[in-house]
Amino acid sequence: MTIRWVNRSRILAVAAGSFLLAGAPAQAAGEHIEKHFAVKGRPVVVIQNVANGRIEVKSWKNSEVDVIANQNSGKIGFDMEQAGDRIDVTANVLDPNAQPIELETSLQLAVPEETELQLKTQTGLIYVEQVMGDMTLESVAGDVHLKEVSGYIIVRTTQGSLICTQCAGKLEFESVGGSAQVLQPALNKVNLHTSFGNILFDGDFVRTGLYAMKSGRGLVEVRFSGNDSFDLSAQTTMGTVDNQAAAFLKPDSHGVKRLASRFTKGIIGSFGAGLAKVELSSYSGTIRILKRD
Amino acid sequence: MQCRDVEAVVEQEGLAPLPAGARAHVAGCQHCQAYLADLNTIVNMTKEFSAEVEPPARVWVSLRTQLELEGIIKEPASLPTVERSSWWIGSRNLFRGRTLATAAVGLLIVAAGALQLRQTTVLPAPSDPIFATAHALNEQEHDLSNMRLASTSPVDTSLRQSLEQLNEFIADCERRVKEEPRDDLAREYLAAAYQQKAELLSAMMDRGRSVN
Repeated sequence: MTIRWVNRSRILAVAAGSFLLAGAPAQAAGEHIEKHFAVKGRPVVVIQNVANGRIEVKSWKNSEVDVIANQNSGKIGFDMEQAGDRIDVTANVLDPNAQPIELETSLQLAVPEETELQLKTQTGLIYVEQVMGDMTLESVAGDVHLKEVSGYIIVRTTQGSLICTQCAGKLEFESVGGSAQVLQPALNKVNLHTSFGNILFDGDFVRTGLYAMKSGRGLVEVRFSGNDSFDLSAQTTMGTVDNQAAAFLKPDSHGVKRLASRFTKGIIGSFGAGLAKVELSSYSGTIRILKRD
Repeated sequence: MQCRDVEAVVEQEGLAPLPAGARAHVAGCQHCQAYLADLNTIVNMTKEFSAEVEPPARVWVSLRTQLELEGIIKEPASLPTVERSSWWIGSRNLFRGRTLATAAVGLLIVAAGALQLRQTTVLPAPSDPIFATAHALNEQEHDLSNMRLASTSPVDTSLRQSLEQLNEFIADCERRVKEEPRDDLAREYLAAAYQQKAELLSAMMDRGRSVN
């Protein structure tokens, strides 16, 4: 089923909405459209939002994907398509001469708890809460906020920052200038890279977990608990390493003597039994290691 | 015929010979001329690399996987046989806008890395293969400057700022690598910055094309 919604005027929108959405439990009036897609299994939701605006995804108990779109002007068209359990939502600019403020649009989605997501936007916030499933989230200048999500999470931004609260599974973050905050995670594989942003990891390291955090010029800060057990490598070429947990750091306990490169500054050692592996680096920023009280 | 039609022709039929309609459009379109020049440069440089080193199979697997993930090619992935005579046929699928530039520069970076690993002695900085990547990216950036938009939209502004920041960072890393070629960490950051710059340039070219 394909619906193309074009809001050229209030009358046209109402008429077209009434016609196109006939028979569906949806309503469209003016600058608002709502559409429901029934799904059977674990849906895959793909959103291409070329406009400026927020994408918000929350889970609910229904076997249904609910999409609500709002926009400031009639210069954005939405293509919504369902193919089995795949839902595609694409925003298109109808007027190439439209001003940025006229391209502001927001999408609100309610999805089943187990849903895969592929979301792409330009400047708006991507917010995902309580969704379990693999997800790829891309933004140029918009931030990405994740809360209580789990799965294989891939986030790519140019300048947008990531805040990941109580996330589980695997996390990859790649950004030119965006920062990343990972708070209270239950992640067993983390790969964070930003050229200019800061990185904050505040939480426990899962035993056998692998954690790599790299920032070209920014601050890389790790706050761990006294129960954590991990091997640590922290290296910088031009920056500094601020180890505020030196009292807890022991030589590597696994028999393999690892040496820092003579071209870098840094520390190598183990906290606890060294069960997880943590690699921190920065080209010219600061690496800070803290133990939480 | 418009720019997107020329891209479609190249996607389907390769670089040469272009149909008369496409040639007529290209003759009067700076954007398409730059686009075709990019493709020729990348193809020529890739040929030069392949004459010096055979990229390991994992490179092809990685590229192919990326293309499949992006839906550019549909066939199931399998370990390719490295046959130089057939690479051009396979690479015709690469001629798909943004993917082309990103994949090609990615290949250059990987090939440069492979060359670096094979060397038993450290070469002087100017002949370091990693700097071939810098050269390719600078040419791409120069071409981009011909089509760069004066847009002040938040997206274009963000992309431009990122490119400026990356250029400063790359210059810093290049200085370090020239001073100390065995600094692996600096090399790692330099390679990552090149990769980000390639993706950034591709995104900017895509935005430029969509307007042209």
